[in-house]
Formats: sequence, structure tokens, C-alpha cells
Amino acid sequence: MLTEVHVPDDVSAAVRLLAGGATAIGGGTCVLPWLNDYASPPTELVSLRRAGLSGIRLHGDTVEIGAATTLAQVEHDDRLEDLNAVVRSIASTPVRNLATVGGNLFARQPHGDLAVALVALDARVTLVDETGSRELPVEELTNGAGLVTTVTFELPRPGTFRYVKAARRRYNSASLVTVAATVTEEEGTVTGARIALGGVGPRVIRAHAVEAALVGQELTADTVRAAGEAGRGEIEPADDAYASAWYRTRVFPVHLRRALLGH
Amino acid sequence: MPVRIVNLKVNGVDQAFMAKPETTLLLALREQLGLTGAKRGCAQGACGSCTVLLDGAPVVSCLVPAATVDGSAVATVEGLADGQELSDVQQAFIDGFATQCGFCTPGMIMSAEALLARNPDPTADEVNEAISGNVCRCTGYAPIVSAILDAARRRRDRAGQEATR
Amino acid sequence: MARIDSEYFRDERSSDFTVIGTAVQRSDVLGHVTGRTEFMEDRTFPNLAHLKIHRSAHHHALITDVDYSEALKVPGVLRVITYKDVPENWYGVLRLIGIGPDDEPVLAEDRVLYKGEPIVAVVADSEAAALEGASKVKVTYTELPAVLDVEEAMLPETPVIKRAGTNYFVYEGHHARRIRFGDVEAGFAEADHIFEYRYSSAPIEHAPTETTGCIVVPQPGGRLLIHSNTQAAFFTLDNTALTLKRPFTDLQVKGGTVGGGFGGKVDVMVEPLACIAATMTNRPVKFVYTREEEMQVSSPRAAERIYIKDGVMNDGRIVARKIMLYVDAGAYARHSPYGATKAAAHLPGPYTIPNVYADCHCVYTNRTPSSAMRGFGVTIADFAIESQMDQVARALHIDPLEFRLRNAYRDGDVKAHRKVASGTALIEVIQSTAALVGHELPEEYRAMSSSTPRGAGA
Repeated sequence: MLTEVHVPDDVSAAVRLLAGGATAIGGGTCVLPWLNDYASPPTELVSLRRAGLSGIRLHGDTVEIGAATTLAQVEHDDRLEDLNAVVRSIASTPVRNLATVGGNLFARQPHGDLAVALVALDARVTLVDETGSRELPVEELTNGAGLVTTVTFELPRPGTFRYVKAARRRYNSASLVTVAATVTEEEGTVTGARIALGGVGPRVIRAHAVEAALVGQELTADTVRAAGEAGRGEIEPADDAYASAWYRTRVFPVHLRRALLGH
Repeated sequence: MPVRIVNLKVNGVDQAFMAKPETTLLLALREQLGLTGAKRGCAQGACGSCTVLLDGAPVVSCLVPAATVDGSAVATVEGLADGQELSDVQQAFIDGFATQCGFCTPGMIMSAEALLARNPDPTADEVNEAISGNVCRCTGYAPIVSAILDAARRRRDRAGQEATR
Repeated sequence: MARIDSEYFRDERSSDFTVIGTAVQRSDVLGHVTGRTEFMEDRTFPNLAHLKIHRSAHHHALITDVDYSEALKVPGVLRVITYKDVPENWYGVLRLIGIGPDDEPVLAEDRVLYKGEPIVAVVADSEAAALEGASKVKVTYTELPAVLDVEEAMLPETPVIKRAGTNYFVYEGHHARRIRFGDVEAGFAEADHIFEYRYSSAPIEHAPTETTGCIVVPQPGGRLLIHSNTQAAFFTLDNTALTLKRPFTDLQVKGGTVGGGFGGKVDVMVEPLACIAATMTNRPVKFVYTREEEMQVSSPRAAERIYIKDGVMNDGRIVARKIMLYVDAGAYARHSPYGATKAAAHLPGPYTIPNVYADCHCVYTNRTPSSAMRGFGVTIADFAIESQMDQVARALHIDPLEFRLRNAYRDGDVKAHRKVASGTALIEVIQSTAALVGHELPEEYRAMSSSTPRGAGA
């Protein structure tokens, strides 16, 4: 049962409230559906709407996004072309106007596609708690780690970021398989690959085996197929209302291919 | 149970009401301000029946704790018509037979208004994307999309006429 | 607007239509686009109380204990309602037209037959307190094996889940709604080919955008005013009065615009409990399904399983058709006995077949009770029949439209239900459809007519 909604004006007030056991919300799109229709233990919410955590800043190629920046702000920011498409694949306009970048990092799979992209981009978060602040790769972020205030990453070099989300419908549907990758090539050979997967596990999966299978290879139908085979061992898909685990396993290599080869 | 006074500018009018912690923007509009155009279809942010404009942007009002938007401007379907004069989107919905049971209509219209404010000349696909968060279970999507495209034409024609006047 | 083709029936009725074929505006459209149309939940009442349900966690179980003491301690909780508070706990919506037995409890007594079955209702000052209260009810169960498959439910060794003694609805002493016409086995014996296929469908949820609900307001004189989004106001009034054991005149149902129904709002699920709660508290009481309840426990269209066996001659005439049809009613009858009857009425499709045998079973399982939805009984039967027509035509290398035309019923034919067909127009509809899509039919088929008796002319 909701017992209080706090709307602090700054981060330190938010941190204090969270230390007292309150729950942080960005846009509320993950937490409110539960609170609206289900019984819950006494809950105090801390809305980050006015905590000064909204905004997108570029320092050279370094992007810094405030945790309370909405997905819609990212969607309409011309400087973040690679992420525009990622965000448009998430939910619908009236949800994206509420949902935040920080909140998406904690969305339960098969949601949280932006987090998948941010893992592929090797993004880091700044976490604040009563003891101070620290940085952590998005990949290592867990529930309860602290209040995320910013997300930081380097803009990928043009053409190196790939993203495919397969869903039941073209718009506004949760992930069946999401593939995000940054792949660098020199003279046709893959020199670096950072690949993250959504929809195929209880959390965002960093596809180390896929990466290892690709580095040093040319991107061809054969090498990508082999990488997909390698990746089958590191995905842990589940049955849900959108698709069966069997289906996700079956189509994972197809969407990996589409992400990496474009067809 | 702590109760707050929340101030909103709703359809251009300053309003104040008491909000309990569980009072969402949707419930405040419906139960405190008597504006029942926005509907509760799911309370999960999934059906879009509760769509209103919050500081100009369409949001699912069922997921917004009222206390968090104190001081904001809200536009609802009730504020679109100027007296008996309907908005272009409303009139296009009538002329294009774009309603069936009517439950999704207010949310659908607010999503359309938001789209046209940002993009005066959308393609059919852009309309599909803009209303992808609004469920019409009577499945009257084709006339809805046509009506929104028609409303866009009306607005452009009107803007053209006003420019040449 | 598409042109209305009145040519075929020109001798039967005049075509001076003034409305059909024209665009007529809805009377309610202005309210829809301005947000002023009044739906059930758009009415607000001072001192409103809210009702939420504690539901079964199991498909099939005996209830050994219900402890609602913690629910009563939740601040804001006003009352807890159990089956003992329901004046006539057992009901069946079709009792109004003499169909029984009353097989469903308003609130579960000693057992639950499906996951999500209502056990206890909690009435509270706020929705949040009602949810909290309902979550605090503790039910102790002894789980029983669940029957989840229609054919398994019909087997003699399967445990009987229904107190009436059979896992199927009994139609005038029979295990199914039956059709017996001609001699189907003789038909199969004379046929050149036998084709048998199996068809099945999943349950389909109506998912109306407005969830099922009502608000009951006690009136000064003791009557109850029920604001409901039911699709069937009088059905709701009469059934609710029977459950309350009160005269029909004690209740007033105020319906109105329904935010999507599709057959999903005819089951009288919320009004009786809201009336009891309103009477107990003497306050207006709202009982509206959450979205999850709408998806999980409101009746869907029944899942069906249909076997069709056809005996067909080389020239494409169907001489025998045997159909075994199973409607999965779920745990309780609701409208499903009627649905299975409708399926039987629709068989063997709009075709003239001299030997027909059909058993349409209305089967009980431990699934969510199914009920009415847009043409229920007919819709899935049609899917099966027309899929069968396509499969048989292809197997015989006959054009599927020609195959249908060969077997199409005509005026004067005696149907399997021993009714003489009249006003048939299937042949003309197929001919027109073929022309519209550019599917060329041979002259012999273009010359066919519903009014020409079979065997005459072409």
C-alpha cells in the first residue's frame, strides 16, 4: 500500500529518503502498474522528476545522460542517432514520455531494451548513496546498488553500432530477442565486438561467446552462424505471453544475423 | 495517511485538489475534478485509454502519481472543443466514422492531437506509431488512422487559409 | 459505400431501402469525441466503498479452512463476505430460460473448480484497503487432480469434478446435443473417399477496453440501483434478484454505453456481490475487475476441438459427414450449453449431405469457465467446416469453390435438422465472390442457382 510520495528537489534529499527504505521511481512505468492493482507492503515512493537529474550533455564524444531523462527526450535528440531507434522500439509514446533512462536499467526482462544497448555501448553509471558516489559499468548494475544519477558512454564510431529488436508487433511490444552490438572492423576483419542480448534471459546478457567467435573473423553468413551457435550456450530464455523459450532459442541466430549482416 | 494539495492548470484553468499517495493523475482528473473523458482501461499503462497531455506531451495518466506533477499543465479531451466548435481531430473522427464503443476515443484523440502538434503532415505509418499505445478493442483502427490523416489535412488547410488572409 | 446487390431477392422484397446502403451517423458520436459519453465508472458517489476478491490459487482443490481475521484488521476494511452471506449461492445464468442445474456458486463453498474462482469478497473504504484486505485472507486447500482436457474429461476413468455427477452437460438425458440424419455408416461404405481431420481452437478473451464492473447504490426506500456495464440489463436484473432472493422490483439496473463487450459482459459476475455489499454496509459499492481479472477470470470464448469425417464421391459429392465436437465449458456451464446447441444447429454447414451424424459435447474441465462471445458455437464450427471443405477439395484436386458449389444447399433441400431450406443464396454469394476476385468458374458452375432444384438443369 502506498503510504507517501516524495518529490525531492535535489539528489541529496532523494538519497536520504532512499536510505530510509523508500523506493525510487523515474516515470513510474514499472512500479505503478503493480501498486495500482495489487496489494503491497507499505511503500514510500521517491519521484526523481524534480531532483535535477534530467538532461543530455555531450563533452566531445562523451555522452552524459541524467537518470531522470525520459526516453522521449532521447528519442528526439538528434545527437544520439543510434539511440533514437533503440528508444522508438520501446513501449509507446505516452509511456516514453514518462519512462526514464535510469528506470529502464531496472526494467525486468523482456523489457529494458535501452539497457541492452547501453551494455553494448559499454556505458557506465554513477551511483550515489549516503557514503558517496561511485561508478559502475551498466553491465554490473544490480538492484539496490544505489541511486543512479547519470549514465555515461562514448559515442560509437559511425556504422559500428547495430541494433535489432524482434517483437510480436512492429510497435509497442516486448522483446522476443533484442540484439545490440558495437562491432569494429579493420580491412574486413572484426577487431572488436561487444554484444548484448535482451529477451533471452532473466537479465541483459553479455554475449561473450558470440564476441569471441567473431573477433579475428570476417563477418560472413558462415561466421555469424557459428557465432550464433556459440551464443546458444549463454542464453537462458523463458516462456512468457510473447513467445516460448523454444521459439526464442530457435530465432536468436536469425536476429543475430540481421543485426550483424543487416539481412 | 498524508494528503497533499496539488495544483494543476487543467485545460487552461487553475485547479487545486487533495491527493492521497495512491491518487494518480487519472483518478484526480476523474474523481476530484469531474473530468471523466480519460478512462481507466488497465491501470497498467498498456491501453492508452487514460492518455492526456502533461505539459504538452501525451502520457498514460494512470501511472502518474498526482503529487509528482504539482504545478504542471494538463490538457484533456474536454478542453479541445471551443464551445460547440470541435477540434479538427474531433470533427474528423465524427466524419470518418472513427468511433465504435467510444471508450478508447478520448485517449486516441489526445494521442492524435499530440502527433499533429509535433508533425503536421504525418504518414499513415507515423500515425500507426503514434497510436500504438492506444488500444481499440472494437478494432476500428483503419477509420481511426484515416480520420487522423484527414484531421492533419484540415489543419494544414486551415493554416494555409489563415496565412493567406 | 459498397453497392447493395438486391438483384437476387428482387421478387421477395422491395429494395426501396432508405437507410440500408447509406451512411448514417451514430447517435452517440458527439459524446464519444468530446469525452462526455457516460460509461459505468464515470459516475461518482460520495461515501463509495470498494469490493475486491480473494481468488482460488488452484485449478481444483478442497477448501479445508478460510481465515479472514487478518483481513478484518486492515484499516479501512468494512466487511468480509463469504458464501454464507449469499442468500441463494448456487446459480446458472440460463436458469431464466429453464436450463439447469444451477451449477455455480457465487462464492466457493467447500471446493474450487478453477484457478481464480472467487472465495471471499472484501469491502473497504478504499480500493487500496480492499486489495490489501483480500490479500490477507488465508485459505487452506487440499489439492485435487485437475482435469484440463475435454476428451480426457469424457473418459470413464477420469474423476468426476461436477456435483451433478458428469463431466458434461446433459441434454434431455443425452451426453451431447446430437444430430442423427440418414445412415452415416452406410454413407461412408458407399463413398469413394474418406477424409478425417482434427481441428482445435484456443480460448479467446474478449479483452474489452473497459473492464467488467458495476456500482450499486442503496436507495432511500430500500431498493438497489445497479449502475452496470452489462450487455444484458434485464438478464442481470433477474439473475441478481434470484441470487439475492429478493423481488425483481427491488432492483433497478441502469445500463448505458458499454466500453466493449463482444459477449463478455453477459455473465452476471459482479452485480450480486456488489448488491450484497451495498446492503450490508448501506453504502454505494463499486466492484470493477482489474485488467488482470478481466484477462484471467472473465469467461473467454470456449476452446473447441472438432473432428470431421467425410465420405466423398469421385465427382465431389459429400455423401456422409460425421462430427464429434467438444466445447470446453471450463468449470461451470454459464452460456456454454447454449453454445454447443448453436454449434449443432449450424452443422453440417450450408451443404446438403444425405447422411449426417454429430455429437456436440459441452464438457466441464478445471479451466476458466467459458461463455458467450460473438457467434459462439458457430464461429469455431465454421472454421472447422470450411477448413475441411478446403482440405477435401485439395485432396481431390477440385477447385475449392467448385467443391462448395457442388454441395451447396438449395431451396427445397431437407437439412440435417429436418427443416426445408428456403431463402438460400450460398450459390449466388460464391458466384459473386468469384467474379469479384477474378476467380473464373466454368459455365456449368456459373449456371447454378439456389432456386433450381438439385439434379434439374445443370
